Amino acid sequence: MSEDNQLGRRRFLSVATLSIAGFMGAAMLVPAVAYVIGPALKRNGDQNWIKLGPASKVELNTPTLFKVTVENQTGWIANEEELSFYVYTENGRDYIAMSNICTHLGCRVRWIDEQQQFFCPCHNGIFDKEGLVVAGPPPRPLDNYEVKVEDDQLYLLGG
Amino acid sequence: MAVKIGDWLDERLGWRQVWQAIFLRKIPKVNWLFTLGSASLFVMINQIVTGILLTIYYVPTPDHAYDSVQYITNQIPAGWLIRGLHHWGASAMVVLVCLHMIRVIIYGAYKFPREITWFTGVILLLVTIGFGFTGYLLPWDQKAYWATTVGTRIAGAPPLIGDYILRIVRGGEELSAITLARFFGVHVWVLPITLLVLVSIHMYLVIRIGISAVPKREERHE
Repeated sequence: MSEDNQLGRRRFLSVATLSIAGFMGAAMLVPAVAYVIGPALKRNGDQNWIKLGPASKVELNTPTLFKVTVENQTGWIANEEELSFYVYTENGRDYIAMSNICTHLGCRVRWIDEQQQFFCPCHNGIFDKEGLVVAGPPPRPLDNYEVKVEDDQLYLLGG
Repeated sequence: MAVKIGDWLDERLGWRQVWQAIFLRKIPKVNWLFTLGSASLFVMINQIVTGILLTIYYVPTPDHAYDSVQYITNQIPAGWLIRGLHHWGASAMVVLVCLHMIRVIIYGAYKFPREITWFTGVILLLVTIGFGFTGYLLPWDQKAYWATTVGTRIAGAPPLIGDYILRIVRGGEELSAITLARFFGVHVWVLPITLLVLVSIHMYLVIRIGISAVPKREERHE
């Protein structure tokens, strides 16, 4: 066996060994990355119809508060979360559903009947009965949701 | 380019000498049975990598252990793969380590000057079995629970001190949250550190002394 031949063989073996090692490393690295970032890529934006309750409960021209409990799953833990919505109607057919969370910094707003306004206790944000900003720091109206009525039951599309 | 970077680093780190000592050392003409140690080392690395990944989601408390394992297996991308590799790697590890030991016994490779390599190897076998025993409880399913009930009861079998051993292993009378937490702690801290220290000594000696040759049939002088 000549000197050249031996070097060729040595070179081949080291390249082959390194390639196999590299391949195995990659075969491990790809699933590992997917595994680590997997939950981060999941959006919990799955929108569901949430049942609020009887539509007849909503008084004309007065935002009415509905409290619902929704189950949500974070990792392996199932949480029950209580959500509140104000539902408003002028004619008993078209409903507006609003979040009770102030768009400023996330405090809960309250309907004040005497003033016919929503009031946020944290920084005096004020919204009108349709959720539009009247005064104070809130940057945008209260969040709105799509609503439907089936068999006198109100449903809201949220998540 | 690669050569240039290699030279630059070598001037500062002297890595070529290390590389030479580890990977280009001279060995006697041996057979495939001499790869069992490297195979164990390879599976060990697999266990370390997949084990670290599992701890990202696993929670060692009775109310979440089982659910977090199910979450890893069914919800996380490639979670089934990572857990599967760790699960089967654990069995492979025990098998390979035992085969490695049998080879060393049969070829008489434990003799002078390799006694310390052998002793560290014996402790490493115990560490491997410790890993198997503590890891078995962590999924917190029926098999895990009852296997550990039986296993700890065996630890409690010796006369006089048996009961103390049982209570120390379980962290109380019963198999409980305390047992799960301490098995987890031992599995991810105590044993890995012991393993790494012993493997370092073991491999330092393998490189320093060199591996044994296949023993030759001696000629009879009569």
